[in-house]
Amino acid sequence: MSRAEPGALITSAVPARRAARATLAGALVAAGALLALAPSFTSDYVQQVSFRVLQYAALGQAWNLLAGYGGLVSLGSAAFIGIGAYTTAELTNHGLPLIPGMLVSGVFAAGFATIVSPALFRLRGLYFTIGTLALAEALRLFMVNYNGLGGNIGIFLKSAAPTTAGLYWLALGVAAAATGLVLLVLRTRLAISLRAVRDDEDAARQMGLVSFRTKLFAFTLAAFVMGVVGGLQAGKLSQIEPYGAFGLQWTVDVVTVALIGGLGTLGGPLVGAVFTVVLAELLNAYPSLHLAITGAIVIAVVRFAPEGLWGVLARGWARLAAAGPRTQRGARRVRQ
Amino acid sequence: MSRALLEVAGLTKRFGGVTAVDGLDLAVRSGETLGVIGPNGAGKSTLVSLVSGALRADAGRILLDGQEVTRLRAPARARLGIGRTHQVPRPFARMTVLENLLLGQIYGAAARTLRDARRESLGILDRTGLGDVADRLAGSLSLLRLKRLELARALALRPRLLLLDEIGAGLIESELPELIELIRSLRAEVEGILVIEHVVEVIQACSDRVAVLDWGRKLVEGTPGEVLHDPEVAAVYLGTSATGERTAAGSAGAAGAARTVSVLAAAAGDGRPERARAEPLLRLDGVAVSYGAIRALQDVTLEVRGGEIVTLLGANGAGKTTAARAVSGMVPLAAGEVRYRGERIDGWRPDQIAGRGVAHCMEGRHIFADLSVEENLELGGRAGTSRAERRDRLGAVYELFPVLAERRRVSGGLLSGGQQQMLAIGRALMAAPDFVIFDEISLGLAPVVVDRLYQALAAVNERGVAMLVIEQNVQRGLALADRAYVLEKGRVALAGAPAAIRDDPRLLALYVGEARGDLEDHPPASGGTHDWPA
Repeated sequence: MSRAEPGALITSAVPARRAARATLAGALVAAGALLALAPSFTSDYVQQVSFRVLQYAALGQAWNLLAGYGGLVSLGSAAFIGIGAYTTAELTNHGLPLIPGMLVSGVFAAGFATIVSPALFRLRGLYFTIGTLALAEALRLFMVNYNGLGGNIGIFLKSAAPTTAGLYWLALGVAAAATGLVLLVLRTRLAISLRAVRDDEDAARQMGLVSFRTKLFAFTLAAFVMGVVGGLQAGKLSQIEPYGAFGLQWTVDVVTVALIGGLGTLGGPLVGAVFTVVLAELLNAYPSLHLAITGAIVIAVVRFAPEGLWGVLARGWARLAAAGPRTQRGARRVRQ
Repeated sequence: MSRALLEVAGLTKRFGGVTAVDGLDLAVRSGETLGVIGPNGAGKSTLVSLVSGALRADAGRILLDGQEVTRLRAPARARLGIGRTHQVPRPFARMTVLENLLLGQIYGAAARTLRDARRESLGILDRTGLGDVADRLAGSLSLLRLKRLELARALALRPRLLLLDEIGAGLIESELPELIELIRSLRAEVEGILVIEHVVEVIQACSDRVAVLDWGRKLVEGTPGEVLHDPEVAAVYLGTSATGERTAAGSAGAAGAARTVSVLAAAAGDGRPERARAEPLLRLDGVAVSYGAIRALQDVTLEVRGGEIVTLLGANGAGKTTAARAVSGMVPLAAGEVRYRGERIDGWRPDQIAGRGVAHCMEGRHIFADLSVEENLELGGRAGTSRAERRDRLGAVYELFPVLAERRRVSGGLLSGGQQQMLAIGRALMAAPDFVIFDEISLGLAPVVVDRLYQALAAVNERGVAMLVIEQNVQRGLALADRAYVLEKGRVALAGAPAAIRDDPRLLALYVGEARGDLEDHPPASGGTHDWPA
């Protein structure tokens, strides 16, 4: 074998990578178009299931930014979703259209996050987790007992809900925006700051990082996305009540989505949302079996694939990609 | 006298009832390197944490270049140019080595874009000998490399004042000159350096002045020559190593302690050392261990007879700790066999091996930080012993290390380094073992504390407990041993009686390197780049 050959292989690898990137971009555009046009060729049922997938994808992105990258394992998701749902319900009842209502919901949820953060950030690790859980539960009990917002009956929405396709598009927009937002954050220095805080907050402070600000940013951003998703949920329902809007089920589902999909990865929440919601649909008739199976899967993922389904897929893809050029190389050698 | 870069006045810090730093006055002048030494628990690391803002002072003032920083929080102080290392490395474990440096680059004294930060960080990594692992996860590095990462990370801040907390611990002698040169080269770019170090050579070669702390107060201050020859300093800090005597104190203390230790030695039924027995207690035969593609041990044959102290020497990375882990069942063997009392134990689980009377006092102490001293000890004596038996053993450990009895209700994490090591030794002894592996018990400890620990080992051995002692310090290791082995690159390079090994010319080449002569006479700081050997 001549010495020049390895060099030739390296130079041929660069256009190959560029081609792969172009293929990926093309695939993304095609997938986007397909998703956007989906309502024209899918049933109501598929659109409703997709709505849930997209909702959870957005929630998963938000939670993953917080917990996967920032190490802030929050069990308070329901609080922000509930605040979002109630805000949108009230605002649309007062005549505001749904989309501005959802955005204001996000702002309200972020505002709430800002107010509680000085107290919550005094707690670290597991204590922070318990603190967020206590906060969300306290808020739910408050909403049940406080009569100003309908008490345990909640609020009936006056305006008509959008069509199934309309809701689907809204959810698609929210999920895409949430993913884009996280992608954007990960391209800034915040990606480094968040992970440093996750690994050792005190050491990060000794490097000049004001960890409070970093955590506050992640916490309010996640709260904003969760508030918007809560608003989206209000747009779908005709009645918002505290047991559903502030229900612990939201919190648990979000954690499940992120864990199964893969913590600390951009694609994880997307894969996790599809997997979790489709599994729930398949086992629709057996609710208790569904819970048991989901639990078993979470345990299996944590034990055998800590990087989640996304990690497994990414590794499989990398192996395929590595195998590809090798077979090409082999073919070239045969031709020579 | 030049301007003070750092000035500390009346600094006080209390932890519960203990005053760790007690009305301390100290200054680092501009352009100066100040060495700080003192026994473990003297308040040195607390001083670093107070100056860097990780801890808040209870009283006193801290000034950086005349500006009061006492009330500032840690990030603000870092931005003003105070950089520190941690004695126990605290890497961002799930980030790459390069990413570990970026934070300081971005938020430090001179803010940078990510792109510039990356380029500059690579330069710092090359300089500190971490260039080859830039893309590895920091959590996968060895302890020594993590120490270097601490330094690299502090440099990434572009500090004006650099606080170095024991970055030399664990280096062998041949590696010291390079550390010394690195610290000296830093003087060109850092205005002032405060060095805490137990390795006296480093203090001697790097510092313009030395301050000695004891019980949170300043004992003496002066030039390295004055301070290191001060009789008071020798008494509180340097111990026997300063006078060059071997562990004479060890045998004196041993007689008194022997009585108490008998409880700890299960094998001591006849009350006499088993040293004469030819039968090996432990035998490794042709042992090989691999970590992935790396062969850490190759064809190692070694034995420890009953009641014997065997010392295992070797450079960093020679495979000493791996050999210990192979004995106690924590790594699988790639080849060879391990026999204990004639029985093959390789392939057994660590708990099964421990059940046969093999205790392992691991490198790095591994104290349960949230448990009290007594709870830590209790955990060492679990397996099927009666309550009365455990109480006896506890009493014996407390007699061996009275300071542990005083602090029995204190959580392990709040002990000083020396006390933690005592606790780790005590915990290993709680199992009443016939054979104990001690891995680097002197790491990062003041000479006087190491003396104390070696006395304890001698006392325990008096009652017939056999030991495999892994040690960085050749002289200490050989002084204690009945026999010694020297590992080089995973193989046994030398074996035999301590005296023969000490006089073997190959020892110098294998272990001490050519550093011995350099220590007395350092070339002037070149300011160039120096890699530490991996």
